[in-house]
Amino acid sequence: MRSRRIPAGRIPSGLPWVMPAMVVLLALSIYPMIYSVKVSITDATGAFTLANFTRLFHDRVFGAATLQTIVLTIAALGIEFVLGMALALLIDSLARARAVFRAGLLVPMLLPPVVAAVAWRLIYNPQFGALNGTLRWLGLNTAALTWTSGENSALLSVILVDVWEWTPFVFLLLSAGLQAIPTEPIEAARIDGAGAWRIFRDVTLPLLKPTILLALLLRAMDLVRIFDQIFILTQGGPGTATETVSLYIYRTAFRFSNFGYAAAMSFVLLAATMMFSRGLMRLMRAR
Amino acid sequence: MKTLLRYAAACGGLLIAVAPVYWLLTISLKREVDQFAYPPQWFGFVVTLQHYGNAFRGGSFGQYFTNSVLLAALSTLAALLLGVPAAYGLARFEWPGHWSENIGNWILSTRMLPPIVTIVPLFLMLREARLLNSLLGLAIVYTAFNLPFVVWMMRGFFDEVPREIEEAAMLDGETRAGALLRIVLPLVKPGLAATAVFCLVVAWNEFLFALILTQTESAMTLPVGIASRVTQYEIRWGEMSAAGVVAMLPVLVFATAAQKYLVRGLSLGAVKG
Repeated sequence: MRSRRIPAGRIPSGLPWVMPAMVVLLALSIYPMIYSVKVSITDATGAFTLANFTRLFHDRVFGAATLQTIVLTIAALGIEFVLGMALALLIDSLARARAVFRAGLLVPMLLPPVVAAVAWRLIYNPQFGALNGTLRWLGLNTAALTWTSGENSALLSVILVDVWEWTPFVFLLLSAGLQAIPTEPIEAARIDGAGAWRIFRDVTLPLLKPTILLALLLRAMDLVRIFDQIFILTQGGPGTATETVSLYIYRTAFRFSNFGYAAAMSFVLLAATMMFSRGLMRLMRAR
Repeated sequence: MKTLLRYAAACGGLLIAVAPVYWLLTISLKREVDQFAYPPQWFGFVVTLQHYGNAFRGGSFGQYFTNSVLLAALSTLAALLLGVPAAYGLARFEWPGHWSENIGNWILSTRMLPPIVTIVPLFLMLREARLLNSLLGLAIVYTAFNLPFVVWMMRGFFDEVPREIEEAAMLDGETRAGALLRIVLPLVKPGLAATAVFCLVVAWNEFLFALILTQTESAMTLPVGIASRVTQYEIRWGEMSAAGVVAMLPVLVFATAAQKYLVRGLSLGAVKG
């Protein structure tokens, strides 16, 4: 970026163009953040307190919610990456009908998340759902398959929905990345007699690295704040089996009206997001 | 043989992607007896449109639909009116030092705040301003939500237009604003349209803010209306699915129209909030 000296005291001429947007963002993003700090460190009488933050450490539900958010993020991220990559390579290798496959594969991520979750509720329902119904019809015993209503299977079921909904996103970004990388190095490696796996590992993967990082960071930021699907599918249950940090913050604030504690928890989430967004910013600047 | 396997795998993926959506569609078109039938009726059921009638003519989904349309249109318009000049300002003017870069990064970073972090104070602020349960209140929140995205998308499009074009127009007596409106904007029209489409989709799909900031029938949006039917004791599968199908159709149409810009938009956080 060119840097020019501007005479002291002169307002940059672009500022009036940018100002309205900045004012709106200050009022609706930054001011709420500051307000949130204030709510989290004052008690009912308005006195200073750190109780909301110390409480975080012995709150069992918060611990469970944090752990589940981490498990969900890592599991979904891993599966989505592997599947997204495989799909991108697969569709890229097809000679025909690529556009048809691509358009169809993108459908899940374009749906309103609420609609996607509703569809899966209809499918997961142990008694009347399409999934168990179809499996039983194929001759499987489905008595043990309780999906979202089972203590042990609920989190996995939620992860599967996220994988279904967002693998297309990873697929799309990686697919675009594959089309953008030069073909010469791959050709050269092939002429040198390298096998498909070696070409993928030593040539394609390094060239795709920026795109892969971008996709993973964007997904990670979305996953740590996951709310919509779980709200519809399980409401965090059964028990606290699918409770996540976002969901717990929501219930603390809007069911139990404990705004201070909710604000304190939201800073933990913010810290996690900032970690990811830092990496993202660096990546975008590098482009 | 290998090719055949590849196509089979691709078809399998396609099937998994589309089947749940297809199932939702069938539930919305089935009579109640068939919705719970065993084995599940994937094909060949009696088609009825009664659930659509019940949801939209008899029920409140018509109102939710109108609310969602108004909200998406209003917030998109506002985000464009604020964001396009800001993007132009960042792309075209002389800024001292790293100002342009820093302001741009700061704007983008506000978009990365998880909604749940700002929702508590926003709720309290809107309650104070008596804007809870009003479309206006939610429209203001969505505007702020979409604004960073507009700035970044449009700045990219402005960067692609050579400066010489406006400079020539300004030598001919155009003002800055005139050059933007009459020369530059027509050149970036496809980009502007794609940006608008993404804002519409985000506002249309958004759930968390709408859930918390609108709790009355008169202000509820389509996603919140659908969700409120799920969590009640008795689920009305037919009406809910019908509403779901109606909620997803505009998004699929719009997104297909803007497909060319999908990757760029998604990289900046479009579609999902």
